[in-house]
Amino acid sequence: MASHSRRAARTLLIGLGSLSCLVAGATGAARAADLLLLAEDVPSGLDPDGPSIALPTTQEGMVQMLEPLIDYEPKGPNDSGFVLPDFSKPRGRLLEAWDYDPKALTWTLHLRKGVKSCAGNEFTADDLIYTYGRALSTSGAVPNAWFLLNMGSIKGFTNDVFSTDKAVADAAKKLGDGIKKIDDYTVVVQQTEVNPLYFVNMAVTISQGVFDAKEMQKHATAADPWSHDYANNVNLPSFGAYCLERWVKDSQISYRANPNYYRGKAFYDHVVVKKVPEAANRLVTLRTGQAQMVQGLNAHQYDSLKDAKGVKVEGVLGNEGLFVVMNFKTKPFDNIKLRQAIAYAIPYERIVQVGYSGQAKQWEGVIPSSYPGFVKQAQPYSTDLAKAKALLAEAGFPDGKGLDAYKDAFKLSYVSEKEATLGPVVNAISTALRALNIPVTLDPIPQTQYGDRQIVKKDLGFAVNDQEKPIGVDAGYAMKLFFVSKEAGGINNMMNYANPELDALWVKAKIEGDPAARNKELADMQNILMRDVAWLPVVEFKTQFGLSDKVNGLTWVTDNSPRFYDLKN
Amino acid sequence: MSSADFTLIREATVPRLRRLRGHGLTIVAGLVVLAILLLAVIGPSISPFDPTVADAEPFLPPPNLSAWPGLLWAALSGAGTPVHWFGTDASGLDVFSRVISAPRTDLSIAVLANGFALLIGVPAGLLAGYFRNWGTETLMRVSDVLQSFPVFISAMILVALAGQSTVNIVAALAVLYSPIYVRLMRAEVMTQGARGMVEASRALGSSEVAIAIRHVLPNSLGPTLVQSSVTIGFAILLTAGLSFVGAGVRPPTPEWGLMISNGASGIMLGQWWPSVFPGIAISLTVFSFAALGDVLERAYRS
Amino acid sequence: MLLRYIGRRVAVSIVQLLGLVVVVFFLIRLMPADPVARLVGLNASKEAYAQASHSLGLDQPLLTQFLQYFGLDGRGGGLLEGHLGVSWVTNGSVLTEIGQTLPVTIQLLTLSFIITLLIAVPVGIAGASRPGGAFDRGVFVYGLFGGSQPEFWWGLMFIFVFFFKLGIAPAPLGLVNPMDMPSEPITGFILLDSLLRGEFDVFLDVLWHLALPTLTLVFILSGPIIKMVRQNMVRALGSDFVLYARAAGLRESTVTRYAFRIALAPALTLVGILYGVMLGGAVLVETVFSLGGIGQYAVRAVLAFDYPAIQGVVLVITSISLGIYLVLDLVYAVIDPRVARS
Repeated sequence: MASHSRRAARTLLIGLGSLSCLVAGATGAARAADLLLLAEDVPSGLDPDGPSIALPTTQEGMVQMLEPLIDYEPKGPNDSGFVLPDFSKPRGRLLEAWDYDPKALTWTLHLRKGVKSCAGNEFTADDLIYTYGRALSTSGAVPNAWFLLNMGSIKGFTNDVFSTDKAVADAAKKLGDGIKKIDDYTVVVQQTEVNPLYFVNMAVTISQGVFDAKEMQKHATAADPWSHDYANNVNLPSFGAYCLERWVKDSQISYRANPNYYRGKAFYDHVVVKKVPEAANRLVTLRTGQAQMVQGLNAHQYDSLKDAKGVKVEGVLGNEGLFVVMNFKTKPFDNIKLRQAIAYAIPYERIVQVGYSGQAKQWEGVIPSSYPGFVKQAQPYSTDLAKAKALLAEAGFPDGKGLDAYKDAFKLSYVSEKEATLGPVVNAISTALRALNIPVTLDPIPQTQYGDRQIVKKDLGFAVNDQEKPIGVDAGYAMKLFFVSKEAGGINNMMNYANPELDALWVKAKIEGDPAARNKELADMQNILMRDVAWLPVVEFKTQFGLSDKVNGLTWVTDNSPRFYDLKN
Repeated sequence: MSSADFTLIREATVPRLRRLRGHGLTIVAGLVVLAILLLAVIGPSISPFDPTVADAEPFLPPPNLSAWPGLLWAALSGAGTPVHWFGTDASGLDVFSRVISAPRTDLSIAVLANGFALLIGVPAGLLAGYFRNWGTETLMRVSDVLQSFPVFISAMILVALAGQSTVNIVAALAVLYSPIYVRLMRAEVMTQGARGMVEASRALGSSEVAIAIRHVLPNSLGPTLVQSSVTIGFAILLTAGLSFVGAGVRPPTPEWGLMISNGASGIMLGQWWPSVFPGIAISLTVFSFAALGDVLERAYRS
Repeated sequence: MLLRYIGRRVAVSIVQLLGLVVVVFFLIRLMPADPVARLVGLNASKEAYAQASHSLGLDQPLLTQFLQYFGLDGRGGGLLEGHLGVSWVTNGSVLTEIGQTLPVTIQLLTLSFIITLLIAVPVGIAGASRPGGAFDRGVFVYGLFGGSQPEFWWGLMFIFVFFFKLGIAPAPLGLVNPMDMPSEPITGFILLDSLLRGEFDVFLDVLWHLALPTLTLVFILSGPIIKMVRQNMVRALGSDFVLYARAAGLRESTVTRYAFRIALAPALTLVGILYGVMLGGAVLVETVFSLGGIGQYAVRAVLAFDYPAIQGVVLVITSISLGIYLVLDLVYAVIDPRVARS
């Protein structure tokens, strides 16, 4: 019996061996104009008003197919090859030209002619009207498109759409005369007050991209007149550079270049994005040349690619930053001296080295330093333990005495899924603060819970955040989003900062017509925020991608998603 | 001739070699288990660095093999600075200190979880074995359902939703492992019910409860201990697996699975030490527990 | 007699399933977690939160939600009609998503178990037939070792050695080369579909991509199965009736065959149990090799607090396990008449 089994085992091994030889030859190689990108996830939906809009990987899919009204002129590549936009030079995409009448507060939009969608339909004013109508209907899971139009003070886009009085809400959801079609290629938009954010937000594709109305309406049903189900599960018809070829949620998505695209057909005809959850696997596959692009690696992994053959890393100090949240409603973080003490205790250089392999720099303001209107703090915080100890004493906790009573407050929260990137950072912060007898412990929580506590409950006492950035290229956008108090209209004020001085400045800056005066007001706001340590900005880190040597043209957009259209050999 | 005599004859015909087989294995397994138990107690106290303080340079490799004798001598004689025997990880934490401090975490979770599973499962199993009514039938069906729950996913759900704390992990594992003991005890009761001495006790008029306590329970101790050592091993693996996907122990608590997960990306970059050493540690530990279980099984069978 | 037993057993299974649905539903919804916030992303107004909560159906009382889920509220859709709800993350049908991911895991597990049995049974028997010998000692040690390993770590090691260093394994990117367009599914099981369509190159390609994950699973599954086969063979070979058979003068090979039949039953039970366990337990291997199976789907669902998806996954996997136990019990009842009488 034993010899039988031994013979069987041998035959099995030989069989397996020959099988593997056969199969090795069967694996096909990618064709010339193909691009394979390995990502941490693929779109979970394609509807800008859908449930997965907050996910960067979902946004990445949308922006390949959606076409915005404007974007910015490219400025030329930085030293790693990443092409940067020139925020002072907006250029029309679906818009040929635009006129602004400051007295009437109207924008006259002249639409581009000859733009064809993936389905072959031509872009006209009807598509833009449809897009705005859909936004106002707030019929999706999330009122994303409405939000940016509301932020831009467009007439008709009010909070009434959420009224509990059904009659009021229904009336508010109908597109009024705030958006007027003049002819097939001209639309006039009415604002209710001076507000530059309407124009700035036009470039935010993930919210303001324009739909191919004819195609969308084909898939409307009585229960779903705005085709949310279609957009979330099947396709996103628009006028963009790529058309959806195949989409398997949680696995992969593939695109084909739009042959009718008005800017010319894309170089890469066939782009596939594959979900590979393990960053290490993505890295390794890029190195063997079986994929042409990877994303979502940590800085250390990108670092290892720098010396590898056939691959390169392109990075840009864009708008990604890491900051520490200290909630004003959680004691003892309402103590400004304590906040400043912590600011002087953070080991900035160590975090740059250990957390980001040098691919970062200390963040010396509260908005991205690449944005117009950024103002560096006059005397920036630095790692100065003597000053930290002194301030700690001034705060009433000499040598950390008395802080033990607040042990629960010093649980440093962060997104547990990001352990690989944030681990070294939180360990460095924790070690440094514990050396001052501040009782820090680590508290990783799942992304959903983190989002819930940050955005809805606003009860994150002490946390590290690396995923908030103002997507509209404007300091005012950042102010309204993060720093203005809730009463004054702040949206994502996660640290419950309420400073009447700041709010008063915002009231002025919001409707300020003179750009110079506006910049001054925003600069003053930034200084106040740094003095009070509203946020504790730690580092700005590079947005990086791993690419095959042959892939060029990568361009940065504020949503941090690559545009496949820009890539070529 | 009774069945006991047949047993004697059978044992006599087995070659003596079989009893000595695994002698070496027994010693190794025993030593490893003892070492792990010892580390669970004194690990964090004897570690050269604080396992949760991250102030060294990250990704320092372990010292060259040729340097070890000199460094060992320096360490033993008290001279010289503490050495990163297993190198450092991505945050600058000392791998060796964390590897030897981890048994405290892993083992306490595993032993506690197993203990509670026993507390739930053994009485339930006894009841189910002795009383055959609709109550115990329901118990068995519920236990079936519990056992068919996907263990890993259920543990993940319980921990991720209730919060990542050691208590929650222990509770989740205890609940998920108790059906094993229910089944085991019930099977023991049923098999022993047919055994000679139990029949004899019944014939003599002892009550079922007395039989349960005086005969069945002590005789079941063997299989229970065997199952315990196996379950403890699996609990360690499960804890490590949970930490690997991010639903287990909280960083920077030293825990083998967490260390492997954190170091996984480094392997592809040639930085093998943050993952390999904890992997070897788990591998050896769980293997030794399984081997111990097997030794116990053979001991109780004869 | 037998029919009554089967009937009773099936009825019990149905009750178990029902109980399962109720428990899973309430257990998950009573957890202190809030999945609404994920939707709200860029916007944080109370109105946006309320709207999102409404769209998820969370603003209604728990009992109403349960009736909706079950399909008893007259609105159609619901569990009784085979709908598992809509994922809160993707807005797609949970049933469809499970239908896409479950076949991957089943193919991986089935392949792994087949290979494991092909290896484990002969090896276990070989070891048992010469107990105490060197081969048996080696088998015994391996049996203990394999079953006690962290498979996620070994998976990583295998990728590193076979893919990265030696280059003989395919990239850990899933079942198919992502640049290829697979044809429309017939059964959903790509191995079967490719055979049905005569696409042998696709068939071999998928097997090729399954090689490393299968190797990892075989490595850890063969441990306990070899151990069980060997142990039961030893026990069977030492049992009374084998003693009698030998005494009666039957040939050794015949005796081994009889012993094997006894040893097989518990081994099959073990396989059945392990299959059910691995349906959820394969998640670690699936994650390391990015296979897109149901385990990976479950991890994503749990971390995103996607209640319908979590419920769907737990229900499906547990039902399959219960089904396996039911089949095993029924098979035993047929083989061993004593079972039906108890």
